[in-house]
Amino acid sequence: MQGSLTPLSVLGPQADDERQRIRRQFESGVGARETVAALCQLADSNIRQVFGEVLRVHNTPSDGLCLLALGGYGRRLLFPYSDLDILFLFGNERAEQSFRPLIADFARTLWDLGFRVSSAGRTLEECKRIEEDNVEFHLALLDRRFLSGDSELFEKLDTRVLPGSEKQARAFMLAQLHKLTKDRLTRYGNTIFHLEPNVKEAPGGLRDYQAAVWLRQVAGGERGIQGSSAAEEDLASGAVDFLSAIRCFLHYSNARNDNTLTYELQAAAADRLLGVSDGLPRDAAEWMRLYFRHARTLNRQLLRYLEQKTVTPRSLRQRIFSAARAAKIEPRNGKPFAVRDGMFEVLDQHALSDRAVTFQLFTEAASTGVPLSRRAERSLAYIMKHPEIPAHNAEVTWPVLRAILAADYPGVALRPIQRLGLLTEILPEFSRIDSLVVRDFYHRYTVDEHTLRTIEHLQELADPPDARGTHFQTLWKSVDRRDLLIFSLLLHDIGKGMAVENHVAGSLEALDTAAHRLQLSEEETSEVHFLIEHHLEMSATVQRRDIFDPSTISAFANSVGNQERLQRLCLLTYADIHAVNPEALTPWKADMLWQLFVATSNHFSRTLDRDRLHAHDELSLLEQIRAHVPNIGTEEIERFLEGFPRRYLAVHSAAEIAAHLSLSQKLRSEPVQTELHTTAHTFSLTLLTADRPALFATIAGILAGWGMNIIKADAFANAAGVVLDTFHFVDLHRTLELNPTEIGRFRQSLADVVNGKAPLEPLLKDRDLASRARPPKVAIDTRTNFEDTSSEHSTLLEIVAQDRPGLLYDIGSTLARLGCNIEVALIDTEGQKVIDVFYLTEQGKKLSLHKQEILRRALQGKLE
Amino acid sequence: MMKLEAIIQPSRFESVKDALREAGIEGMTVTEVRGHGRQKGHTEVYRGREYTVDLLPKIKLEMVLPDKLVNTVVDTILKTAKTGKIGDGKIFLSRVDEAIRIRNEERGENAL
Repeated sequence: MQGSLTPLSVLGPQADDERQRIRRQFESGVGARETVAALCQLADSNIRQVFGEVLRVHNTPSDGLCLLALGGYGRRLLFPYSDLDILFLFGNERAEQSFRPLIADFARTLWDLGFRVSSAGRTLEECKRIEEDNVEFHLALLDRRFLSGDSELFEKLDTRVLPGSEKQARAFMLAQLHKLTKDRLTRYGNTIFHLEPNVKEAPGGLRDYQAAVWLRQVAGGERGIQGSSAAEEDLASGAVDFLSAIRCFLHYSNARNDNTLTYELQAAAADRLLGVSDGLPRDAAEWMRLYFRHARTLNRQLLRYLEQKTVTPRSLRQRIFSAARAAKIEPRNGKPFAVRDGMFEVLDQHALSDRAVTFQLFTEAASTGVPLSRRAERSLAYIMKHPEIPAHNAEVTWPVLRAILAADYPGVALRPIQRLGLLTEILPEFSRIDSLVVRDFYHRYTVDEHTLRTIEHLQELADPPDARGTHFQTLWKSVDRRDLLIFSLLLHDIGKGMAVENHVAGSLEALDTAAHRLQLSEEETSEVHFLIEHHLEMSATVQRRDIFDPSTISAFANSVGNQERLQRLCLLTYADIHAVNPEALTPWKADMLWQLFVATSNHFSRTLDRDRLHAHDELSLLEQIRAHVPNIGTEEIERFLEGFPRRYLAVHSAAEIAAHLSLSQKLRSEPVQTELHTTAHTFSLTLLTADRPALFATIAGILAGWGMNIIKADAFANAAGVVLDTFHFVDLHRTLELNPTEIGRFRQSLADVVNGKAPLEPLLKDRDLASRARPPKVAIDTRTNFEDTSSEHSTLLEIVAQDRPGLLYDIGSTLARLGCNIEVALIDTEGQKVIDVFYLTEQGKKLSLHKQEILRRALQGKLE
Repeated sequence: MMKLEAIIQPSRFESVKDALREAGIEGMTVTEVRGHGRQKGHTEVYRGREYTVDLLPKIKLEMVLPDKLVNTVVDTILKTAKTGKIGDGKIFLSRVDEAIRIRNEERGENAL
């Protein structure tokens, strides 16, 4: 540059010295805020000096030209290797032409001084127009700051030109900002959890904060988007400080504008306690926990802003109309919350001080899949953070939690429950895995995030997003005790946050305290214990064993114990793998998992008849039963148990077995003993009596005659010939539900018909068969399959058919008519499909091939 | 230099990987694949539906080795991957003309 008063040879080293000084300050512990401000000041003074000198050299006044700082530089946030975003503003086109050579000199000099300049030029007139394909420029203009030159020109731009055009284009800008933000978040997988996050651009990064500020600014402040509370701003401010410190550190470490927080740099940042105010040493995993907490703060704030509607200019007529429409949304059934625009809103905030109401809201969210709006969450947060508002019903009981966990969309409730800190109130154990990082290249998410994602992967099985979930969809829909499965998932990895060698042991410890506090029953605790203890077993079997080898299946089946547990364990395994990272559950792995499930499930049904109880060997069980029925001797207990299939133990607790035993003691005086229980939507009938021909068909017929649709059943017999049949059915016509006095008549009818005191036919004749005429929603072909190898003394018959009332009676009566005795039966329903397994004998032996064929034809004819 | 491709049973993978590591082989590429040779597919009937696996799941290992290590690696895989049943898999060897390390452009066996 000619004739400059301060040569480059002086300016250059001065700028370098100052940069080094700022860097030394940062590395000695000065905060990021001060560092970026100092870098900004350095840039400002150099730019002003160089600009002044260039004007002098070109002998030109600055009239008609000014320099503006834009974007981050405009906000006085200049990171060590960030570009300087500068705008050359010209008064008119003539000025633009005349200043061109000067600008070239200016930019070149700044580059020589080590400043990376990214510049644009506009005339004042051009700034009036919104460039629809360059929204980023207009966003950068929002942070404009005068640097040097014609200040009057800047005033015109700042106070007259831009406010007008920004107001006019507000709706467009807001929509574009939404789009840009959502596109960016999508590019990064809509998750803050990256192993090596980009601290500027990734969700949870600095851009999230800036986008939230822009949204507020473009929308016009309080009138448009609701601002954050002071507490939220404090939290966000702390997060920005932390991430800014990381960004400075990354720039200095990489010597370029690289914002990726790599594994190595995570360790280095942790070593120097970057951003840590308490001075306590942390390893990289613990330090990243801080990172994710701050990232979560910024991301949640942004998502809250994004969720709010864009503000569009409305006429008075439009405003009146929408106000009138809003007033028509009434609380549902007197509840202080309602659904508006696809989200739950709180209508009466103070009602939420009653935790029972709060959990009612969560239960409805979990049942319907309708999420809470961010505004609703803020209402809840407000109540929780104000101790002067007394909370009622603060203790959450297991039945309340169960209702959420058993619902179709538990994740929809659990997410806000976790965000609000309620999850750690209910389950303090969960705090051990809050933002806990597992530092390997396989686990993408923190442990708490992984846990919640497991639950979300299960709930999306209602409508699987891809082929990996197709097979498991039916399991999710039919699994028993979903609440225990979800509870197991909540606890399964808590041990990772404990100082234990094996995280499973730690998780089991957490279960002990949680189950005790929430008062789960012994059976429930035992079930959850099993799932947690074995949660890695299915995956390990798939990976390390030959799943096409029957001995592998047999060993695995022995370990699992029964079909119901297998179903829960399979779903847990599916969810656990799926939630490790988006690619973890490959189609290959999903298929292998399904194959293992199918093979094991078939093993259970095919060994039903083979594995019988020898009561004498079941010492622990005998003791447990004796505890419930101390007045019954051991010999009688053994006599009762002897010969039942092992499945009987798998599906009944010691208390239930004791109750059955007590019933069996009364058979001498009353030959048919029944027990009837109601559950949420079904009835459960247990019937004990001596075996006799066509018994199963008779009971099925009585139930059909009363209009009951059987959805599940077990039929067992012990060595003494006592039959214990359990039927789960739906009361199609609500006879028993609406007429409780009919329950006694129903039970008497069962006893009378089974005893032969009353005929079955009248019951069946009068029953309305109109339901047969209704075409099924899904057509199921009838299939019968015989197998002679599963049992030494019975033939296995598997029937798959279209469900309809009276079906089981038709099957049972056909079997009876053809002289087949049912040794064991396992009845199940899956939507419109029934899957019935019978172990049959004829005169104490397996069925001949000829008999099998007769039976096949008879059943096909009856069932189609 | 030789390229070694081995198709093995998934259940043998961990043992093979550990044994190769002990033999000093650190680098390999692992892919989940499906296929069959003489081993027949597998069909299970579950709730009235047939689930047939025609192409059985396998693991493919690939590595490029200096000539002097080839026999060691082949022996190691043969020992650890074998179950004696149909479906154990196969090993293929092919000659490699050149190997280049991208980071520093090293060539030949030094790049392995």
